[in-house]
Amino acid sequence: MTTSTNPRLTQVFRFLHARYADGVAELAYAFDDGEPMVERIRFPDAPELPAARQAAFDAALKLLHLIAGVSYYKAGVPPKIEVADGLLDDATADLLDALYLHGLAEFAYRNGLDLRGRIHFPRGASAAAQVPALGLRQNTLVPIGGGKDSLVAVEAIKSAGGAATAVWVGNSALIAACAERTGLPTRNIQRELAPALFELNQRGAWNGHIPVTAVNSAILAVAAILYDHDSIAFANERSASAATLEYDGQQVNHQWSKGYAFEQLLGDWLHTHVAADLDYCSLLRPYSELAITRAFARLTPYFDVFSSCNRNFRILGPKPADRWCGQCPKCHFVFLALAPFLPKPRLLAIFGRNLLDDEAQAAGFDALLEYQDHKPFECVGEGAEARAAMHALGQRPEWQEDALVARFRDEILPQLDAAQLALEPWLELSAEHRVPARLQAALKAIGA
Amino acid sequence: MNHNAPAPLPADAPWIVMKFGGTSVATLPRWHNIRELVASRRAEGARVLVVVSALTGITDALKQLCGEGDQGKRKAAAGAIAQRHHDLLGHMRLPLPATLGARLDELAALAAEGPARLGELAWAALVQAHGELMSSALGAAFLSHTGLGTQWVDARDCLAAVALPNQNERTKLLSAMVEARPDPALNARLAAQGEVFITQGFIARESEGRTVLLGRGGSDTSASYFGALLKAARVEIWTDVAGMFTANPRQVPGARLLQKLDYEEAQEIASTGAKVLHPRCLSPLREPRVPLLVKDTNRPELEGTVIGPQVREHAPSVKAISARKGITLVSMESVGMWQQVGFLADVFAHFKQHGLSVDLIGSAETNVTVSLDPTENLLDSDAIAALAGDLAKVCRVKVIAPCAAITLVGRGMRSMLHTLSSVLAEFDQLRVHLISQSSNNLNLTFVVDEDVVDDLLPHLHELLITAGALRTDDSVLFGPSWQHLYGSGEAAVAHAWWREPAERSRLLDIAAEATPRYVYHLPTVRQQARELKSLSAVDRLHYAVKANTHPAILRALAGEGFAFECVSPGELEAVSAAVPADVPLLFTPNFASRADFERGLATRATITLDALHPVEHWGELFRGREIVLRVDLGRGLGHHEKVRTGGSGSKFGLPVEQLDAFLRHADAHGVVVRGLHAHLGSGVLDAKHWGEVYSQLASLAERIGSIAFLNIGGGLGVPSHPGEAKLDIAALDKVLREVKAAYPHYQLWMEPGRYLVADAGVLLARVTQTKGKGSWRYLGVDTGMNSLIRPALYDAWHEIANLSRLDEPADALFQVVGPICESGDVLGSDRRLPEPQEGDVILVAQTGAYGKVMSSPYNLRGETEEVVIDA
Repeated sequence: MTTSTNPRLTQVFRFLHARYADGVAELAYAFDDGEPMVERIRFPDAPELPAARQAAFDAALKLLHLIAGVSYYKAGVPPKIEVADGLLDDATADLLDALYLHGLAEFAYRNGLDLRGRIHFPRGASAAAQVPALGLRQNTLVPIGGGKDSLVAVEAIKSAGGAATAVWVGNSALIAACAERTGLPTRNIQRELAPALFELNQRGAWNGHIPVTAVNSAILAVAAILYDHDSIAFANERSASAATLEYDGQQVNHQWSKGYAFEQLLGDWLHTHVAADLDYCSLLRPYSELAITRAFARLTPYFDVFSSCNRNFRILGPKPADRWCGQCPKCHFVFLALAPFLPKPRLLAIFGRNLLDDEAQAAGFDALLEYQDHKPFECVGEGAEARAAMHALGQRPEWQEDALVARFRDEILPQLDAAQLALEPWLELSAEHRVPARLQAALKAIGA
Repeated sequence: MNHNAPAPLPADAPWIVMKFGGTSVATLPRWHNIRELVASRRAEGARVLVVVSALTGITDALKQLCGEGDQGKRKAAAGAIAQRHHDLLGHMRLPLPATLGARLDELAALAAEGPARLGELAWAALVQAHGELMSSALGAAFLSHTGLGTQWVDARDCLAAVALPNQNERTKLLSAMVEARPDPALNARLAAQGEVFITQGFIARESEGRTVLLGRGGSDTSASYFGALLKAARVEIWTDVAGMFTANPRQVPGARLLQKLDYEEAQEIASTGAKVLHPRCLSPLREPRVPLLVKDTNRPELEGTVIGPQVREHAPSVKAISARKGITLVSMESVGMWQQVGFLADVFAHFKQHGLSVDLIGSAETNVTVSLDPTENLLDSDAIAALAGDLAKVCRVKVIAPCAAITLVGRGMRSMLHTLSSVLAEFDQLRVHLISQSSNNLNLTFVVDEDVVDDLLPHLHELLITAGALRTDDSVLFGPSWQHLYGSGEAAVAHAWWREPAERSRLLDIAAEATPRYVYHLPTVRQQARELKSLSAVDRLHYAVKANTHPAILRALAGEGFAFECVSPGELEAVSAAVPADVPLLFTPNFASRADFERGLATRATITLDALHPVEHWGELFRGREIVLRVDLGRGLGHHEKVRTGGSGSKFGLPVEQLDAFLRHADAHGVVVRGLHAHLGSGVLDAKHWGEVYSQLASLAERIGSIAFLNIGGGLGVPSHPGEAKLDIAALDKVLREVKAAYPHYQLWMEPGRYLVADAGVLLARVTQTKGKGSWRYLGVDTGMNSLIRPALYDAWHEIANLSRLDEPADALFQVVGPICESGDVLGSDRRLPEPQEGDVILVAQTGAYGKVMSSPYNLRGETEEVVIDA
């Protein structure tokens, strides 16, 4: 491949090698016969790896190589995938086929591509033997995202007396501030995308959403073996499993890698291929967004540091507007979902403005309510949740005259079935989760 | 030390009350300072009463002690507090004075005893009173030891708290009031005892003999009470800032020191935001007409603020602008109910019941809107929800928040309304929820959305000055800016090039040949260009040629390595004719026709699109091209509404919500979006705005993928008013480098215009005549808005000088006008200039940008010539 080739015209995506030394993992990929694209992941203060954990580490690193490739593969989406060190067993190939197909579904939809029948990881190796338990340390890696969800998970583990470490990938002053506020030990892992990816973009690469939670999960699996942790507790909630839309017979879910299907695939794979005692779960899985925002409404110390806003604020300022753009679906949803659970002046102080009294935000809230539009491609709750929250505000005297609440009452409510609008059912816990026994107390604390 | 005591004072010598706060009494060097100041007042022939606060941190420590249930911990806390005083005594090399020893013993006993005997509140008041009792005892010992014989006075023997209706035990003991009227007996009693006295702030005694506290701002209030009791010549409040300012200096670094205020104005300013003085400390002084002086302990040479009876006649002026944030409005809508007897009383009863106190009120026939100040009760309880629930039973209620109250303060506000038009226009794009103006005519308050305030306040402050509503030209009322007094490293005001004697005589020669003429000074253009080249984060600088298209300027900037930004085919032609063929060009038109784009595409220029239409309807024109997209980030900035280029009210830029649609069209036509551009407006003087634009563009660019560079526009402000701080290029560089570090993969482009050329140009005209009309005097020159339309179009302020009489005192006040038949043909209003003669050469400064290029043939006055001079 010459440096001027448009990646969309390539034929093969190749997984070259994954190496690890001195706290740095090196993941190499290529299109056709082109130059290797090398991504580096830096694990700070990496300890010497005991021999007993070497096999587990190698397996986790291999999976990370395969999963992180999605960022590069998507630049060209060539018809063929090759893995340099051989064939995969069925479980591994199934996991990757599913991840690349569903995790890139929104990307495909936006770019008018159809990936069905296109993604085939080379399979045919016989299944490896079940791996043993490693006696990993009872300490949970909790990824911090800067938003409310991971903070609810952290506080739940703390309240249940569990040991945990706050971890995040990449540079983010916002996340660093939130992690520090948790009071937990922290670990900041760095991910450096191959510079060649940026050049590919310049040459017309396909672009769009990738299943970044899957990449981060694979990084944390490596980290768990390296730093000796028995569990990884994400903060993905129930509605992450719901599809954003259906397109040409295919479910498109913006947050597929935060959904339960991926959690099960990866969790089972880690148990069979890495360590029988490495648990991967989401602590918030059985809860709705509303149940989580209610839990978060009690966590006042985080109000002036957290942000779920989708605009990537790399430079923080002291004002609410430095953390909340007020325009994106995340801002809309978090505002709406917190509103039933916080005194109005406190909520408005968090955001620095009243999004529900701003006519210009009507289309954004309509999308959340799934009124005249589909659900936005963002990590936000289900439409019915948003409608329940809005309905609750419609009955509150301090909210009901605000422009968009009044509009909901006048225009949207008459078209809805009032019986479907209660808030309380959303606060109940569902049975679907894979939280290990050691973290059950934390799970219960959230709904308390 | 000075042991040469001045001659004894007569019994009727005037009193000066001096108050020093906690940081001023906490260290030995600061006590030396106090000693100097007190001795100087005594040397003036006055008796001095010093009022002190507790050592810094001690009041908080005492409060903590009061909240401690455990006796052992209370004793330990008292011990630590005592140690702070022992330490300071050690620094002073003084033995423990008996007065202080007695206080320390009493505090230890109170800590050991706990609140049971005296009762919780009375005990707490007495414990906390010890902060001032101890600091004053220590001070008396120090001052006397240095040879300044000082009597310790127990403030509780002088200040008697009065019982008020509505007072509960808590307010009675912890925020007491004193009625202080001149008391000749006390005056005589103290005068008989000595010449210098020290006493405590913050404390008094009530009728049952118990010690009480004066609450927040208590020490300043004590000083005022003493000032009134002794009918002092003045009360001096010594603090860490030189006085009250026209705005909060943290928000507006250009805020001016207020040198003279009357009591009512000062009280209004203190109540609406200024923290220097507590508002309640002014009322005791009003009736006895005792002036209050605010001074900076570290900079005693500064004038400070004098607050006294109404200042002698002055032109009415706004004195200050302030903002209070965190305001919640409750708007109550009802048809015809407000007229019913007692209805409003019932409504307000609900506020009282939920513990919410109302500040501002606005009312109409069917609506009453009130404001609530921020309190923890408001933020964290369900008070608002409960209040709204109760009110909803009798009216429609709406809770509007978070808001901010912006208040203009000045005596005679209503007579100034006409000067405020440009200030009021600023509220045009904002949601103004409530306007209130008191019948005492001291203020005008606007309640707006809180998120606009930080940017709005400095801007309004500047507008008030520009509009002549805040008369900073009156040096009796207004002192230097905070920036000037305390700002770090304010650059010396650049000396305009035309003031140099050699340049001045050259200009006079040029004017002798013909007027009107524009003259451009190329060394200044190069100097500005080099200054911008010091912005290390910027990868490419373009000169926005619309500011001035003179070929010599274009060549000079090409010589400095600048690229060029054009907005029309005509500008592209002019630039192409003047600069080498390898200099990069940028074509950034707005509402350009298809033909304009065709002409632009035929050149080497990079094309910027700022709307959907071209790529949607003429997409094939751009096939295979790399373009720049100009987006509108949704808000605008600038020195005038007409130069703001962001926000829905502006015609520039693609709204961000149309970005996806634009990219789809671009993709369909094989158009690659290589750059992203936004431009906020012109005349922006605050460096952080470009950092915001830059990081917002960068986060947008990450969604696009093909972006290689970000163009953050220009709009770098050029200060025009005397004393206005210039744009801090080093600060701008720092801001830009921060963002660059976060987004190193994008090149950074800028396109300054006015910044490069404004200062380089002057307009020379000649005096034709003067005219008197009532109290107004007009100075006529031989050109006006036909040559320079910025004053008429933007209310722009240009310095005007009589170049023929640059050294003569400027003592006459003129409206400088041109010969055009328009009443708006005014180049400058209310300008101080020397008495002119016909034929004098008048110079209008900073006209290198948007001068000649915006001139017109109106009235067929002929072309204004341009002359270029080089070193």
